[in-house]
Amino acid sequence: MYYQSESHSSSSVHGGTGAGDPLERVVRLASGSAVVIFSVSTCCMCHAVKRLFCGMGVNPTVYELDQDPRGKEIERALSRLLGGGSAVPVVFIGGKLVGAMDRVMASHISGTLVPLLKEAGALWL
Amino acid sequence: MASQRLGEAALSESGPSHHHHHIPYSLPHMLHHPNTSFIRNQEGSAFDFGELEEAIVLQGVKINNDETKQPLYTTVRPAATLEMFPSWPMRFQQHTPRGSSKSGEESTDSGSAVNTLSTTRLEPDSPISRKTSSDHRLPPPQPPPQMDTGSGVDSPRTGGSQTQPAAKQAPEKTLRRLAQNREAARKSRLRKKAYVQQLESSRIRLTQLEQDLQRARSQGLLLGGGGVAGGNISSGGAIFDMEYARWLDDDHRHMSELRTALQAHLSDGDLRVIVDGYIAHYDEIFRLKGVAAKSDVFHLITGMWTTPAERCFLWMGGFRPSDLIKMLITQLDPLTEQQVMGIYGLQQSSQQAEEALSQGLEQLQQSLINTIANGSINDNMHHMAVALGKLSNLEGFVRQADNLRQQTLHQLRRILTVRQAARCFLVIGEYYGRLRALSSLWASRPRETLIVDDSSCQTTTTDLQMVQSSQNQFSNF
Repeated sequence: MYYQSESHSSSSVHGGTGAGDPLERVVRLASGSAVVIFSVSTCCMCHAVKRLFCGMGVNPTVYELDQDPRGKEIERALSRLLGGGSAVPVVFIGGKLVGAMDRVMASHISGTLVPLLKEAGALWL
Repeated sequence: MASQRLGEAALSESGPSHHHHHIPYSLPHMLHHPNTSFIRNQEGSAFDFGELEEAIVLQGVKINNDETKQPLYTTVRPAATLEMFPSWPMRFQQHTPRGSSKSGEESTDSGSAVNTLSTTRLEPDSPISRKTSSDHRLPPPQPPPQMDTGSGVDSPRTGGSQTQPAAKQAPEKTLRRLAQNREAARKSRLRKKAYVQQLESSRIRLTQLEQDLQRARSQGLLLGGGGVAGGNISSGGAIFDMEYARWLDDDHRHMSELRTALQAHLSDGDLRVIVDGYIAHYDEIFRLKGVAAKSDVFHLITGMWTTPAERCFLWMGGFRPSDLIKMLITQLDPLTEQQVMGIYGLQQSSQQAEEALSQGLEQLQQSLINTIANGSINDNMHHMAVALGKLSNLEGFVRQADNLRQQTLHQLRRILTVRQAARCFLVIGEYYGRLRALSSLWASRPRETLIVDDSSCQTTTTDLQMVQSSQNQFSNF
């Protein structure tokens, strides 16, 4: 599991145009790795989703929003993206939004998660 | 008597000048409709021709089978409506679509007899102001000699097989629509009746529950240590218990339906309707649990809503999906290789998901323990507030666990064929039924002595066992 520290994430983001729009930043971060999880370090459901991917042998890139100076903005943007409710955890695979915990689990049970992971190069066999 | 009412109603509606027409109609009607279904279906005091025709058609036909409801409108015609479109030949009416269950028609012998009789209705004008809803059966004015029903039985049937060219397209659609409306109204009446009956039984159950609670409380057995205020079941919990009891009744009904359907070797299409109905039934309990989780998550997570034996295997407020799959693997039909792969895949993914959720819950528990343990004397309220905040996350975990259960059932449905799915759900239902029965047997097993003391009270009431379990609620984490 790769944890992006705040300095790391801000440096990777503040190149070029500058990240004015939090949603843009989300998209940029999400496209940066095969599996991206936006999380809050104290959130237990986030812990559960991280354990899920690790249990499958996947190494997700995790952004802890409570450790990011602009984390609050991102949280708000994510919450809007998900249609209200809790902003974290939210999972992107291959740059595409999968969703919150319930969508991730539904996708795993229905057998669509693993192909998605393989396609994104996060899982081999 | 119902048929007399028909006669009377017909009499009253058509006015005095038509008495002589109606009397012969009602007499044979009485001969051939000693049916109770008609009486049963009477709701309210108003006589409803729509109900009459439907009731007569349903005579001898299983109400559950939707297919047989189709030909409703191809039989009986109450006298009063016959006048509506006198120029329409009846045979045309009988041949209108949806003759799919001829069996339904065959069984209504008396229906056809009435048809015959109705053909004897002469054109005399009669009160056209009749309910327009029952106007799609038009009898052709046939030559009268069909008063005796014996000869009349077959003719409308055979007549029906010959299409009449007389076609009025627009009214036919109207007739069909009206028939559908009637059908829909009837179904909703039946549903309402069933619902009311359920409400009644739930009310009775609730009173019994309250009495049990009173008794137990008066014996000082319900302590406040279970985390519920004052030893009461919270209103959210009590409401859910009632809804769950009703759901169990529904479950029983669904299971009988499944069993009968499998034994009757219904077509896949019919079976699919029943199987999908069973899935919707499960979706319903998950929805109810979601609502209950908001008001009293402890009630769910400690399993106070289930029986003791089920509580033994409780995982996050319900059954453990991977356990269910493990049980099913041994019980399912011979599966294709692809299906076997699918089932094992489902088992693996549900195990992984369960593991993830369990670890998340464990972290919550640890965090909670730390918060409570580290509360200082000065800062107690703050720590309590923090602890309360953490507790509120429980609802999320129970919701996710229920989501997992629901998705598992849906995936089972996707992997299996209709017939396999029907058998599978029957197995599931029976399994939990046996588990519940085990709990009852355990509760009522004969014991040597009745010893009452603080820590281990031995009685045969199940609510006492609930108390004992509630004292260990944290072990369920």
